[in-house]
Formats: sequence, C-alpha cells, structure tokens
Amino acid sequence: MRENIYAPSLAIIKKVRDEAEGVKTFTLEFKDLAIRKAFDYRPGQFGEVTIFGTGEAPISITSSPVNKGYLELCVAEVGRVTRALHLKQEGEVIGVRGPYGNGFPFNEVEGKDILFVAGGIGLAPLRSLINQMFTERGKFGKLSILYGARYPGLLCFKDDLKRWAGLENSQVLLTVDVADDSWQGNIGVVGSLLAKIEVNLENTVAFVCGPPIMIHFVILDLLKMGFKEDRIITTMERRMECGLGKCGHCNIGVKYVCQDGPVFSYQELRELGENV
Amino acid sequence: MKTLDKTELSKFLEGLRADFRVITPLQEGEDLLFGEFDSSKLAVNFTGRPIIPPKEYLFPQQERLFTFTAEEGDRVEVKAYLNEEKQVIWGIRPCDLCGIKTLDSIFLSNYVDTYYQARRENTILMGLNCNQACETGFCNSLQTGPFAKDSFDLIFTDLANRYLVEVGSKAGEAMIARRANLFTEASDEDKGEANRLEEKSKQGFKPLFDMKGVDNKLAQAWDDRLWAEESDSCILCGGCNFVCPTCHCFNIEDIKAGRESERVRCWDSCQLGGFTQMAAENTRQTQGERLRQRIYHKFSYTPAKYDGAIGCSGCGRCIEVCPSNIDITHILERVIKR
Repeated sequence: MRENIYAPSLAIIKKVRDEAEGVKTFTLEFKDLAIRKAFDYRPGQFGEVTIFGTGEAPISITSSPVNKGYLELCVAEVGRVTRALHLKQEGEVIGVRGPYGNGFPFNEVEGKDILFVAGGIGLAPLRSLINQMFTERGKFGKLSILYGARYPGLLCFKDDLKRWAGLENSQVLLTVDVADDSWQGNIGVVGSLLAKIEVNLENTVAFVCGPPIMIHFVILDLLKMGFKEDRIITTMERRMECGLGKCGHCNIGVKYVCQDGPVFSYQELRELGENV
Repeated sequence: MKTLDKTELSKFLEGLRADFRVITPLQEGEDLLFGEFDSSKLAVNFTGRPIIPPKEYLFPQQERLFTFTAEEGDRVEVKAYLNEEKQVIWGIRPCDLCGIKTLDSIFLSNYVDTYYQARRENTILMGLNCNQACETGFCNSLQTGPFAKDSFDLIFTDLANRYLVEVGSKAGEAMIARRANLFTEASDEDKGEANRLEEKSKQGFKPLFDMKGVDNKLAQAWDDRLWAEESDSCILCGGCNFVCPTCHCFNIEDIKAGRESERVRCWDSCQLGGFTQMAAENTRQTQGERLRQRIYHKFSYTPAKYDGAIGCSGCGRCIEVCPSNIDITHILERVIKR
C-alpha cells in the first residue's frame, strides 16, 4: 500500500463552543486510536480540514501539544468551508490531515522574555504556543500578552486570557478599536498597548499574529521601539490547496508558505520578496 | 543502440498493447494530439509537437482522488482511487521529456505525490528527437532539445526509412527485448547520421538568447514596468498554463451528489485572478504580478528549489496558444537586455 498524502483522517466533533461573534472553537478527536496517539504537532502548525462534500481549508491548531488526545480548532466563519464547518454539530464527523508547516520557534527562544501581540482570531495559533510556554514556565522570562479586537464581541479565549493574567510573571492587556457600554478597558488599536508595557529589548522576542493590516502596523511599531528584524516572529496567510508544497498557490519566491511557513521572522519575510 | 525499420513501428507498438495502454501522437483532422494508439491515425512524420503535452497521462486535467460516502451516524467511507494501469507513451518530443523530468522533481520529492507516483511508476517513456526546428519552440536556447540527452526509456531518431533507437533505462531495454527480432544492431553510420541530423536541426532554430545568468537578471527586474506592459493584453484565459508541460499547480475540489461526494484535483492557472483568492483577501491583485509569478516560478524558483530543475521546457506552446500574442521569449529577451 502506498501512503496517500492527501487522505483525510476521520475526526469526531466532541465539543462546539461559541468563541466570539462568528467564531467557534471545535474540539476534535480522531476516530482511529492509532492516529489519535500519533498525531503530534508544534504550536503554529495547521491542518487541512475536510467538510466532506464541501472541500478542504487550512486551519491552524489552537490547542497545545501538551493537550494529548484531542485537537482544538478556532474557526471564523468567512468562506465556503468554514461556513459549512459552523453548521456542524457535536457528534458529527469531519476530516483532518496534517499537521503541516514549520510552527513557531520554541526551544530557540528559551530564556527570553516573550511579547505576544495578537489581533482578533490571530490569537488562535498563538494560544497554542502560549499554553505550551506556560506549561514549561521555567524556560521563559516574562510573558506579556497584548490582545485586541475591533469590538468586544470579537475577543476570543476570554477564559484563557483571565487565567494567563493571574499567572506568575505574566501580564495581559486588552483593547478594542470601538467600545460598547460593557467595555471598561483600553480603547485603541493593539499597537497602542505597546506604550503601556516595559520591554527589555535585549532579551525579548515578539510574536505577532492577526489580520495583515494589523501585523503591518504592529511590526512598524516594534521596529520603532528598537526590535531587531529577526526578533519579530509572525505568520503569513495564503491561499492553499494541498499543504504539501505541490499545488503552487502559496508560493512566494523560493518558499512555499504551507511548508516553509506559515511562521516567518520579519527578516525572513523581507527576504521573500513579493512586497509582503 | 538499435535500428527499427519504419514500417515495423506499428507492429512494435501494436505488440505492446497486450500489456500496456499505448499512447502516441495521432493526426486528428487538422490537429496533432496524443491519444490511444490507432495505426490508421498514427503520426510519425510531423514537425513540432502535439498541441497538448503528454502531461495529462501522468497528471490529468481532472483526476478523482477520493469518494466519500456518508454512512449512518459518524461513519464516512473514504475510498482512494489510484491509477496503476501500465502505459507506454511513444513519440514524446525532447521538450516534453524535459517537462516530465521537471514534474518528477516536484511530485516525487519531499512528500511523494501518491497519485502521480502511481501513474509514473507504471509509465514507459519513448521519445522522438526533433530533426527540424518548430515554429515557436526555443528548446535550443534552453538546451532541452532538439535532441534529448536523458529522461527517457527509449529515444527514437528518424533516419528517413528507419529509426535509430537508443536505450535510456533497463525498462527501455526490456521493451526492445520483447520484440528483439524487429530490431537490428545500429552501425557507426547510423550514429553518424543521427549526429549530423542533430547539428542540422540545431541550426534551424533562431539564435534567441543565452540563458546563462537569467536568474540574476530576473532578480533585478522585479520592479520593472515590463510586467505591467507585457501582461496588459492578457484576457485571463489561462491557456499558457494549460498547455504547459511543466505547469503543475492544481486545485482540490469536492463535488457533492447526495450522500456521496467525489474529491477531484484539477489544473489551476496562476494567471487567473482567483488563484490567490482567499475568503477575505486576494494577495496578487494585478495581472503584472501574475505574469511575473509565472516567469519567476519557471526561471528562478523552480531551479532553485529543485536542484537546477528547468521550469520551462522551451516547447513554445504558450506562445502558440495565446490569443493576445504574449510571448515568453520576448519577455525573457526584455529581461536579459535590461
């Protein structure tokens, strides 16, 4: 038998949680016990998710490798496949193949203070990394999480945010672009939170994830603060079909975002070309 | 090295049909196309190459990957479809052999593409050297032709009343052994004649450009206005990609019919606006960027990523097919002359 690189494995939806407006988090369990045990991944990697009869879409994994036996995907309803996924109920079956992509650096940033800057659903892949870092807490210095959304109803992972804020040597700052009556916190884009924290530039690595426009401006802010280009880690979003470097859609320069990314340092991004 | 009398070619190909699907160039009305061998349509004395490359026999335009059948409860039956039919393709021009070599580099490295591999491992490639330059081909400039140096199981050279047949692999040797009585040992004269034909053929090509350093030139041409200018007349038909022997980009789509659905992959084109379209954003907005991607992918990215693999075989089909006269050789000349 040939190993079929395109074959999706069946996964049962064990839980569906309303995460934010138009955003749901799905807890999945592979039907096959062997696959459940063997499916290992790094924070920042993604899976190709199948809705049988509708198609596939690349979705980043939001659970953490320390969570054994299940996967969590946090999905905004934005396209054909994600709309079909949002209609799925607990107990229904979908397909998953992967994991794909390089994932975030982890051992490489040991001993550093870590600054996370996330916008909207961009917190989903970072949550995987943040939870792993909190699990291996001793390996890292201060963990700062700056998180923003367009308005309060779009903030994801509120329970995690509360929990992280209460942990030792960590801080969580939230903001929204537009407040409503319920909102007591900061108002402004997520980059505005950078002025509110103290950063030891010599020993800090920044992870930035969110919509392209937010990533663009946050990186400019970080550079202005004095961050070196290789100390800014971010992710790229591109059209993907295969996840395996074959279908050509995510190709930028000699790189394939699905295989060589989706995680790049800002320095690597600049070298990619194509005005990214 | 052997020779095969031209009158025996049909007999040789016919004999293979017991164990193989045999694909050859066929004269279909005014068109020259690859198709299932038929001695009444077999094209042997043609200049140039069939209008569509033989790529589709290894990487079909549309290919079923799976069927999914929804069962009761949480069960879905996933069934894969691999094509492992044995086939011989005869009459492949050197440019198209080069195309297959490039597809091999892409599909058979890193993650091995299951579907391509199943077909490729069951395919015998029999080439046919080009004694005459064709109208739009520029293989001579890329050194992918007009005579093939590798990437074949057998290669035929037309010596008027007979073929010189060179062996490129054990599988090719076995093909000859099946009908050894049809073949004769080649003489030094036969080989000398083939060499003369090769030289003569090369002289028939326009001296276009020297490919050396094109990658460096491209590196400096990124922001040039030539991309916008050359793509200005593009009508977004995707024809250049669909007739290309090296283009390998594809989509994966599900087609639903009740409880059963089919997953297919089909060719895609980087020249179409939807190629980079995501739910919320399109990352290549202009036709200039799309044309630039096509040229860089062929002449810069593919060689860099796949150890010198050639992203363009010089077959010239994209020039022939383009309704707006966008000419890849003209673009390359502009890049080189900058």
